[in-house]
Amino acid sequence: MNKRVYLDNAATTYVSSEVLAEMLPCFNAIYGNSNSLHSYGREASAIVDRARDRVAHAINAAKSNEIYFTSGGTEADNWAIKGIAHAYSNKGKHIITSAIEHHAVLDACHQLEEEGYEVTYIPVDKTGLVDLTELLRAIRKDTTLISIMAVNNEVGTIQNIKAIAKIAHDYGIIFHTDAVQAIGAIKLDVQDMEIDALTLSAHKIYGPKGVGCLYLKNGIRIENLISGGNQERGKRGGTVDVPAVAGFGKAVEIAVRDMTINQQKLRSERDYLLKNIQEKIDYVTVNGHPHQKINGILNISFDMVDNESLLMLLDMEGVAVSIGSACTSNSAEPSHVLKAMKLDDDIVKSSIRISFGKNTSRSDLDYVVEVLEKAVSQLRSISAVTKAGRK
Amino acid sequence: MYSKEILERFKSPKFAGGLRGANGTGKSSDDKCGDIIKIYILVDEDGVIDSAKFKAYGGVSTIVACDVACEMLIGMSLEEALGLTSHDILEHIENDIPQNRYYSAVIVEEAINNAVEDYYKRKEREEKKALKEM
Repeated sequence: MNKRVYLDNAATTYVSSEVLAEMLPCFNAIYGNSNSLHSYGREASAIVDRARDRVAHAINAAKSNEIYFTSGGTEADNWAIKGIAHAYSNKGKHIITSAIEHHAVLDACHQLEEEGYEVTYIPVDKTGLVDLTELLRAIRKDTTLISIMAVNNEVGTIQNIKAIAKIAHDYGIIFHTDAVQAIGAIKLDVQDMEIDALTLSAHKIYGPKGVGCLYLKNGIRIENLISGGNQERGKRGGTVDVPAVAGFGKAVEIAVRDMTINQQKLRSERDYLLKNIQEKIDYVTVNGHPHQKINGILNISFDMVDNESLLMLLDMEGVAVSIGSACTSNSAEPSHVLKAMKLDDDIVKSSIRISFGKNTSRSDLDYVVEVLEKAVSQLRSISAVTKAGRK
Repeated sequence: MYSKEILERFKSPKFAGGLRGANGTGKSSDDKCGDIIKIYILVDEDGVIDSAKFKAYGGVSTIVACDVACEMLIGMSLEEALGLTSHDILEHIENDIPQNRYYSAVIVEEAINNAVEDYYKRKEREEKKALKEM
């Protein structure tokens, strides 16, 4: 195996050189604790403040102090769901989310159910869009929080976030969105979209792993998830990881700055690969919304082919894609997202997610098609499933 | 997750594909994962499995479990084949695949039993047909 092509950028990305350059001085030059009073601390604190300003600016938060740094998207999702639910438990104990959320949201909701909260999981249609009629129907007097992801991580479908936020506010309900896959892919404006709480992560946008944030509109109450210090305005204990936060701030700034050009490139990569796949391989189905989806994700099914076997054959030729979400791909169970979209079992079992990156070249994509064609053909030749009329 | 040896066997299974002249075919599936497999056997006149092959719509562990089982089946009597359990198959691969893939060996055991049963049914039909023609 010589050539390697990474097409799993929705799972994680490399750290870009611009981001790395921003981080490096924070390891051994500006290494103070950002909470210390002395000059070392103040220097570090200035770095953290700048990162906070960058993130706030990128999503048009009214104030920088509405950004709380966390250890990543999972922590921010957990904090938003549990923290807001607990803070408003006097008002009610009912939460609404969708069936296709990331496990960070779903598992947090399951934990709340164990505590006696009730959670309604709104279904989605075959394209992955949340059913707004069902959402309206699910709202109760004791509903305190609606959490719907902005962009789905497996199929890339973009939800109607502004409309959902409006529905929530019409009924006096707080609205949170997991925007980990959305930042840099679609315009996020928390004020215009009336978002109360929003989750971001660095490592999907060429930033470091282990850092993200929760945007929380001033005035929204939240119970602490992590205690142990007065960092992050007393809401999130723990010494701030200054290099990671610096990298996160830069990554968010670049993602928004370069959004138009990046999206054009991703779209061109996706369309080129899909066209070539469809020309060379029969019986393929594209999953997700036909138009209302981000450019960086292509979820595609190859009939009569098991997706894990396909992933491994591609991997052996140096091509990295994924099945389901990376967090559950060591489980033998099919993707909860595709199941929730009520796709046929065969479509679910044969689907892979190809997620494009800034550095993917045309020759990389040509190689992927060549390897894919070979792997699909090999697996179909030994498949126990046949299709009458197969070419 | 999977060992190097398992992946090599997965990439180039020795017994994948259909079997010309097979006189026993067994199918089985796993409802949760949707894996579907077929085991083909060619039994000689002495009741010994002369050849075995498989087709699989499943993951790495299922393809490898089928391949390992086919290798084990060759040279076995039908009684021995019926005695082959998922544990016997797992002995060869359990340290090289994740625990949540052990179901693969279970469906292979089922497919083998179904193949042997199919062989007996075919034989019975042939014997009845032969009696009628006498």
